[in-house]
Amino acid sequence: MSFLAPLFFAAIAALGVPVLIHMIQRQRTEVIEFPSLMFVRKIPFHSLRRQRIRHRLLLLMRCAALALLIAAFARPFFRSTALAAVAGGSREVVVLLDRSYSMGYEGRWEQAKDAARGVIQDLAPDDAATIIFFDSGASSSARSTTDRASLLAAIDEAVLSNGTTRYGPALQLAQGILEDSDQPRLETILISDFQRVGVESTSSILLPPGTVLTPISVADDGPTPNVSVAGVSVQRDLFAERERAIVTARLANRGTEPIDDLRVSLQLNGRELESLPVSLEANGPGTVTFAPFTLEDAAMPISVAASADRLPQDDVFHFTVAPGDVVPVLIIRQPGNAGSASTLYLRQALAIGTSPSFVVTERSATEVTTAEIAAAEVVVLNDVGLPEGAIGSALTQFVEGGGGLWVALGEGVRWPGDNLDLLPGPIDGPADRDGRGGSLGFVDYSHPVFTVFSTPRSGDLTAPRFFRYRPLGIGPDTSVLARFDNGDAAMAEHRLGEGRVLVWTSTLDTFWNDFARNPIYLPFVHKTVEYLADYDPPTAALTAGQVLDLSAYPAAAELDVSSPNLVVRNPSADRVDTGGDGRPGFIDLREQGFYEIRDTDAPGTAPVLVAVNVDLSESNLEQVDPQELVAIVTGRAAGDRFVGEQRDLRPEDLERRQTLWWYLLIGALGFLATETVLSNRLSRAELDLDD
Amino acid sequence: MSTAATVSPGARFIDPKVLVRIGSLELAARFVVEGFINGLHKAPYLGISVDFAEHRGYMPGDDIRRIDWRLFARTDRFYVKQFEADTNTNFSVLFDISKSMSFGSRGVTKLDYGRYLAACLSYLSTKQRDRVGIVTFDDDIVERVPPSAKHFDVTLHTLDKIVAGRPGALGPSLYKATEFFKRRSILVIISDFYEEPEKVIDAIKPLRFAGNDVIVFHVLDPAEVDFPYDDAGSFADMETGRKIPVVPDKLREEYRKLVQEHIQTVGQLCSRNRIDYAFLNTKVPLDHALFKYLAMRHRMTKVR
Repeated sequence: MSFLAPLFFAAIAALGVPVLIHMIQRQRTEVIEFPSLMFVRKIPFHSLRRQRIRHRLLLLMRCAALALLIAAFARPFFRSTALAAVAGGSREVVVLLDRSYSMGYEGRWEQAKDAARGVIQDLAPDDAATIIFFDSGASSSARSTTDRASLLAAIDEAVLSNGTTRYGPALQLAQGILEDSDQPRLETILISDFQRVGVESTSSILLPPGTVLTPISVADDGPTPNVSVAGVSVQRDLFAERERAIVTARLANRGTEPIDDLRVSLQLNGRELESLPVSLEANGPGTVTFAPFTLEDAAMPISVAASADRLPQDDVFHFTVAPGDVVPVLIIRQPGNAGSASTLYLRQALAIGTSPSFVVTERSATEVTTAEIAAAEVVVLNDVGLPEGAIGSALTQFVEGGGGLWVALGEGVRWPGDNLDLLPGPIDGPADRDGRGGSLGFVDYSHPVFTVFSTPRSGDLTAPRFFRYRPLGIGPDTSVLARFDNGDAAMAEHRLGEGRVLVWTSTLDTFWNDFARNPIYLPFVHKTVEYLADYDPPTAALTAGQVLDLSAYPAAAELDVSSPNLVVRNPSADRVDTGGDGRPGFIDLREQGFYEIRDTDAPGTAPVLVAVNVDLSESNLEQVDPQELVAIVTGRAAGDRFVGEQRDLRPEDLERRQTLWWYLLIGALGFLATETVLSNRLSRAELDLDD
Repeated sequence: MSTAATVSPGARFIDPKVLVRIGSLELAARFVVEGFINGLHKAPYLGISVDFAEHRGYMPGDDIRRIDWRLFARTDRFYVKQFEADTNTNFSVLFDISKSMSFGSRGVTKLDYGRYLAACLSYLSTKQRDRVGIVTFDDDIVERVPPSAKHFDVTLHTLDKIVAGRPGALGPSLYKATEFFKRRSILVIISDFYEEPEKVIDAIKPLRFAGNDVIVFHVLDPAEVDFPYDDAGSFADMETGRKIPVVPDKLREEYRKLVQEHIQTVGQLCSRNRIDYAFLNTKVPLDHALFKYLAMRHRMTKVR
């Protein structure tokens, strides 16, 4: 036994007080007159007068009461493990219950809840428990409570989420609870299907020393067949001047057995448009392409669903398909065959692409009309100068109004000297590079045109050889996006009004360079045109667990996200808060399906649809050995169990938990009460004798 | 008390507490003595008498008037008639009235007890036509009533007004008293004798050597003998006022032993000096004390 405040034992000297009282309390203050003290004086003097102790029982009780009081103030506690366990071996139990959607795999969820209930019901009265529900995030019910009813109610009310498994956040939350606990025994119970995909998040987690982590697996020991719709791709074309979509769905069989005649259906608003059979190899992918369908004016909610299996959440994929994902491009070239040949590579490059699709209109400088300019989003001046007259003015207005102009400088470019607003600077005559020609020496990879080439093995921009180019003067407001290896500008950007002008100082065919014969030509052309058209690809689907920022969502660009009339309904048709005070326009996407966003002030407009799917990484049911996970987060080898081991608590925590002083205080009060009764009786008895 | 009852089954033992309730000393003395004398008629011992006691051979110098001629006629020898006492003997009480005598643990102080004892003896002597007187003293002579056949009332009056208030000292006061008794007397000394036995004897011996018949009554309260106190406390000497903290339990045995030794020593010293000694405990009835005294006198008379 140890004491938290042993200095109080200095007060043990106070035990002399009752002894003193016992020796002096009966000394009479009156003086007894005696005829003569002659004989008394003859008796040798002894210091006897205070040596007699009356009522030894009373003395013992008073001393005991004082001793217990002093001991109580000294705050005793047991250090011994066994004694401490006797005094209070209560536990801090944290139950981690996996509610990721993989737990919906045929009975796992109910099995897990039953296991959690069992843990709660087995708690001792002094045990404190917390239940943490986790998927990719973690949340707890009442923390460190002994109220079993509330814990059981929390389990009953728990539902599966559409999130993925990540053990890290849950274990981190448990770590905090256990570290804050003053209980002597720490236990964590992890109830999960132990998917391997969630282990990566546990790398930085280490539970407090002495924590017992008990894994309870609800996963099946045998094979876990599962088919998921891994995604879709949508191709578009025009048929009878109507845009059509062709949906191709990717499927994945994660089981060890091949599947034949799996029915996969294409659904619109829950209505089946088409159903096709598909066969899948064991642990293999498969695709299925549905017949094209004509798009409507508004975004259409489309779903691809495979026949339901044991894990239904990943058997369906929702997405939206909206019309108008087309960029009209107007190419202005020189008249004649020469001009047509110079646009060959450019035209072919723009013909490829579905998202977006480029609708190319090719005109010679003499044929082009102002209406065609106005209908285009991007105009390419391919080896022609700025047309004079109304066309030139229309192009200037087009750029100032937000249009994109791509100027490819070739041999035939003659730019009027009085209209240099569209150019970064003056254009010189052609400049030749000797020998093998020049190459690109500097590229601004941060620019959207070149970002796609920024990562390794994403295209070698130094491969194309340039033999001739038109040196370009660079004005103060012009940014150079690429330079040749001799330092001259290869590509420059100039802004005019709300529009953009990109000047490519060489040709887009193979006369002055071999750029068009390089694999990077196609993405370069696409990215350049997309940039000039200010193209944002539509988002077909989002993932459950994401937070949608409506203000950054292209489909909702026309909505006033701060409007109080904005109504958001989730796939269950319940109204959803759009972010609360201070952050309007944010939606926490939790459910799988279609969210519908509507402005009630504009009743005629079509609602904005947001398709939400589960994270397909969760459909990989590969398991990790639970003991491996235990070893990772406890720092001990698997199987190194030490159930019941006491952790080293601080003396303050030990004492606070045991509160032995309370019992000592009660004992002292008991002694004092008994002493009071007894001393009163003795006093009365003595008074009776005196009478 | 049981011993006294065995010795004198017919005696009426008067509780001193009863005597205290009797206001008049004379009445109280008569109450004691008359009853006592009545009881003696059945007693086996004869009391003191002024009548003929014995014959002894004539010695030169004896008064020839005391020769019993009738016995001479029968035996042809001279015998002298000897009487036990003179009828006109002086009887004086020397009464210690020091402060310590005012102690009493049972309602009867030693002073009261001695007062009644003196009254009784005086009454008894008056009945025998002796001359009675009294001397009271503490550390000096306080009052003196010379022996006289007419001084019985004065003696009682003196006894009645005694107040104990000063420390006592036997030596100087008894030495002074020696001067008062030129003629052989019966002297009764009543005191608690709180002095060393040698000093007590030294104080009494002059009286004895002056030819007086000295009878010493050593009066003590039961509390002085038994020391029955329980609680520790301060004990104050009544005469000196000195206080001593005392734990009676620790002292009792030793105290009793010292007191008994003191009593025995005083008694022995008195015997050696032919002084009658009687120890009286105030819890003992007064007539028992008288009886004890007279029995003792009778034995000594026989011896003598």
